[in-house]
Amino acid sequence: MAKTKLIDSIEFPAEKSPLKAFVAVGAIGILLSLVGLVVNTEQFMYSYLTSFAFFISFALASLFLVMIHHITRSSWGITIRRIPETFSSQLWIYILLFIPILLGMNYLYAWTGDMGDRHPFYADLLDHKSPYLNTAFFIVRNIIYFAVWSFLGYKLYQYSIKMDETGDWGIDNAMRKISAPGILLFGFTVAFASFDWLMSLRFDWFSTMWGVYYFAMSFQALFAFLILIVFYLHSKGLLLNTVTKAHIGDMGGWMFGFTVFYAYIAFSQYFLIYYATIPEETLWFYVRFEDNWSIIAAFILFGRFIIPFIVLLGRPAKSNFKVLKFVTVLILVSHLIEVFWIVMPTLHADFKLHWIDIATFLGFAGIFLGLFFYQFSKNSMIPKNDPKLAESLNKH
Amino acid sequence: MSTNSGYVVEKPLVKGNHTFSSITALVADIVEKPTPLWWYIAFGISNLLLGLLFAMLAYLIWEGTGVWGLNNTVAWGWAIINFVWWVGIGHAGTLISAILYLFRQGWRTAINRFAEAMTIFAVMCAGIFPAVHVGRIWVIYWIFPLPNQMQMWPNFNSPLLWDVFAVSTYFTVSLLFWYVGLVPDFATLRDRVKSKLGAKIYGFFALGWTGGNRQWQHYEKSYLLLAGLATPLVLSVHTIVSFDFAVSIIPGWHTTIFPPYFVAGAIFSGFAMVMTLMLIARKIYGLEDIMTDDHMEKMNIIILVTGWMVGFAYIMEFFIAWYGGVEYEKFAFVNRAFGPYAWAYWIMMFCNVVAPNFFWFKKMRRSVAVSFVLSIVVNIGMWFERFVITVTSLAQDFIPGSWAYYSPTWVDVLTYVGTFGLFFTNFLLFLRFMPMVAIAEIKMVLPQADPHYYDEDGNEPEPVEQIEESK
Amino acid sequence: MSTKEKSNDRKVYGLLAEYANPAKLMRAAKLSNRAGYKKYDAYSPFPIHGMDDAMGLKNSKLGWIVLSHGLVGFAGGLALQIWTSSIAYPINIGGKPFVNIPAFIPVTFELTILLSAFGAVFGMFFLNNMPKHYNTLFNSDKFARVTDDKFFICVEASDDMFSLEETEKFLRDAGATDVEVIYE
Repeated sequence: MAKTKLIDSIEFPAEKSPLKAFVAVGAIGILLSLVGLVVNTEQFMYSYLTSFAFFISFALASLFLVMIHHITRSSWGITIRRIPETFSSQLWIYILLFIPILLGMNYLYAWTGDMGDRHPFYADLLDHKSPYLNTAFFIVRNIIYFAVWSFLGYKLYQYSIKMDETGDWGIDNAMRKISAPGILLFGFTVAFASFDWLMSLRFDWFSTMWGVYYFAMSFQALFAFLILIVFYLHSKGLLLNTVTKAHIGDMGGWMFGFTVFYAYIAFSQYFLIYYATIPEETLWFYVRFEDNWSIIAAFILFGRFIIPFIVLLGRPAKSNFKVLKFVTVLILVSHLIEVFWIVMPTLHADFKLHWIDIATFLGFAGIFLGLFFYQFSKNSMIPKNDPKLAESLNKH
Repeated sequence: MSTNSGYVVEKPLVKGNHTFSSITALVADIVEKPTPLWWYIAFGISNLLLGLLFAMLAYLIWEGTGVWGLNNTVAWGWAIINFVWWVGIGHAGTLISAILYLFRQGWRTAINRFAEAMTIFAVMCAGIFPAVHVGRIWVIYWIFPLPNQMQMWPNFNSPLLWDVFAVSTYFTVSLLFWYVGLVPDFATLRDRVKSKLGAKIYGFFALGWTGGNRQWQHYEKSYLLLAGLATPLVLSVHTIVSFDFAVSIIPGWHTTIFPPYFVAGAIFSGFAMVMTLMLIARKIYGLEDIMTDDHMEKMNIIILVTGWMVGFAYIMEFFIAWYGGVEYEKFAFVNRAFGPYAWAYWIMMFCNVVAPNFFWFKKMRRSVAVSFVLSIVVNIGMWFERFVITVTSLAQDFIPGSWAYYSPTWVDVLTYVGTFGLFFTNFLLFLRFMPMVAIAEIKMVLPQADPHYYDEDGNEPEPVEQIEESK
Repeated sequence: MSTKEKSNDRKVYGLLAEYANPAKLMRAAKLSNRAGYKKYDAYSPFPIHGMDDAMGLKNSKLGWIVLSHGLVGFAGGLALQIWTSSIAYPINIGGKPFVNIPAFIPVTFELTILLSAFGAVFGMFFLNNMPKHYNTLFNSDKFARVTDDKFFICVEASDDMFSLEETEKFLRDAGATDVEVIYE
């Protein structure tokens, strides 16, 4: 059997790294955010949480992708695996990025304060929930989440790098051994983290699907993001023969599949609440379909389901770069807007974009992508000694 | 590579040195050989059970649904439990044939054919229950949107009506999918069987298949499209089954995680059933080269994963029942675990959440005995899951005055037992008269099926020394 | 050829050439395509990866058939529900609107899938000329093993380039182990 050889350079050349640009963007964003923090602390906290939940979703979904890749011994994605590995290896940084949320908890989460003049129902409810919803336990839980994710992400990255250096295929087993229980821990930690960060913004609301919903959103968006990164690398003339049209087509296929999965989860959650019409559940959606929030909701429906679904339905579209570029951008924008739509109605009764929203977004984008490219250029761009690399390169 | 400490290279999908024709012989000869004695015995027993099913259904229709153990609040009993259980089992067949196909998992070829057969027979068993529970079976056609003298239409807001569409679509599509897969294999039998009548019958179903590439081209496209259609379909079917419960406001039923949780549970129990059947079939027919221990291990991993998905859902439900702070929800869940049906709850917990954890260990995953026992344990657990969901939420409803303990009658029990007769009668006929492994697909996963396997002149490559497998 | 004396009273259908393995079959198919034959086909017990390109076949049109069926199922399902629930016999159910789109999604979805699946299966039968229980190729005894382990190319006599001698020579040069004349 003919073995395809690696013919591209797999080192990221320093002069092609957009690191400086991202540092600049990040610095501007952080500065503006600091101004925002002083000017309007409450708005800053909500904007910050939006950006945080948006960017960490890629790192978390990356961690899942890497682990599932090891468990299933897949070969299709070996050539792009270093990208999600790099994202998930940086999960420990989010511990630092989470500190502002801890400091500003009182602004975000009504359950941290007293109920003031609200109806006694809420005081009773909060009393009932206080064993879970209290500041100390919130902090402890988040320490556990981040500890689990940081360990998994960092360890799997280290192993992968070690295989690059030593060429020892036995490391593959070690990675599989970590990934199997890792997936289990991941499922529970992400579910509870999504309850803590997003669902408890309204402590009276609940949905058992919430963790799955946050995951489904993130995983769909991750594929869009990965495709865009590959396009960026291609535009710099990198990995042109390593990540081929076939690989991009595959990712397009996955993106399509998880677009449908996202729609399925989101619809099921909405539909069960809509159909039963129990007030304590419907309120959450009620607020989000009021006024111009309904326009945002419609945008999400079209932006991350209807349009991508129709466009990607045919096979050729999945490896048509122009079409893919359009769809990936649309999905990413919709993902951001959906996170915004989840967080912001708690603060604003109707939709408006605040300048601090943009500031925190730029700050996070700079940090997130800057760190990514910094780390990505430190090691080779693909796991060059992976036992399944040849099979992956052979893909057509 | 300098060091390969302990890296396990994936083994070939088909064991032994098989050629194309030895694969044909291995599978097709089962159909041609004389019928073994055990088959007659098993078929006889299945027929008796099938007769029992017919008797129970006739009795039910004659007397009315009062012969079941339903009472004031438990308006749904064993009928819905058995329906959901059987439909769920069917889902693994579609998963193997469609989803694993889309994921390009070559190992599915060994088991997809009889997993699909299992799907069809399981859906038949499932379909009986909703059909007969209507009481007046002679007007069952009212469930379809047919113009009628009353000028009435079905209620399209009702999840039970969605069920009608979902299950009948599912049955039809599964049958078509199965049949499309069978066409080339029927042609193999047509060209192979000695009896003239046999050749005529297989030839009829082979539809004149020649194996020309102009046919294969459309055929493969059709198969791919059907896989793409069956994948969302299988999700939708159990989702709609879960809607039967979840769109209501009954505590314990109305929870948003129900759709994916039901789907995971369905795959979980279905894989267990495929495992049970596979282990028996490969033993009897000596198909260990095709259905290898590696297949068993992969399926056990799926059982472990889906088992934990179900466990995840149990935990989420419990947590949110408390977190939500709704009194009725809290009661429903505490009642499940510690109420009058606690025994069922803990059987469910043990079978579904505890038992599959043996599969964390490679030794257990590759042990035939452990796999066999656990596959049955899982299906017991999944039956109890539906029992717990249905009965605990209904028996203790909003009015304590109407609470009563639910017990099935002998008719409930024997009807359920009878469905096994229907299932195994069909399954035995399938084993006897149809190719139980997809012959053409198995050939495709042999290394010599790939033109790249040969050298540039198209000759067999030099034999490479095989590395001995270390035991 | 032993059957030559019969050739006077029977019409030639085509030439059936046998090849040893998938690689040789694919090579012969590629050569037939390049030589300009149109009415030929490569027969094998299983689909061979890359054969469509070797034979220069265009993509299957089945996708369009399925899509059109799916659209009919989608539109028809939605129309049926809207018409029955809001025009033919409107009933207030749970205070929801008569046209209760979220509740109509399950049935619409199922009908879309059902009709698409019909398109996929019956469209494939249509494109493949099935069912067609008689086929001239079945006259060949050897051809029975095409569903087991043999590989054939058949060039039909109706091809413009067909000539009993030259085509046979061509097929042999392409690596055939055996060539047989098939009569109607």
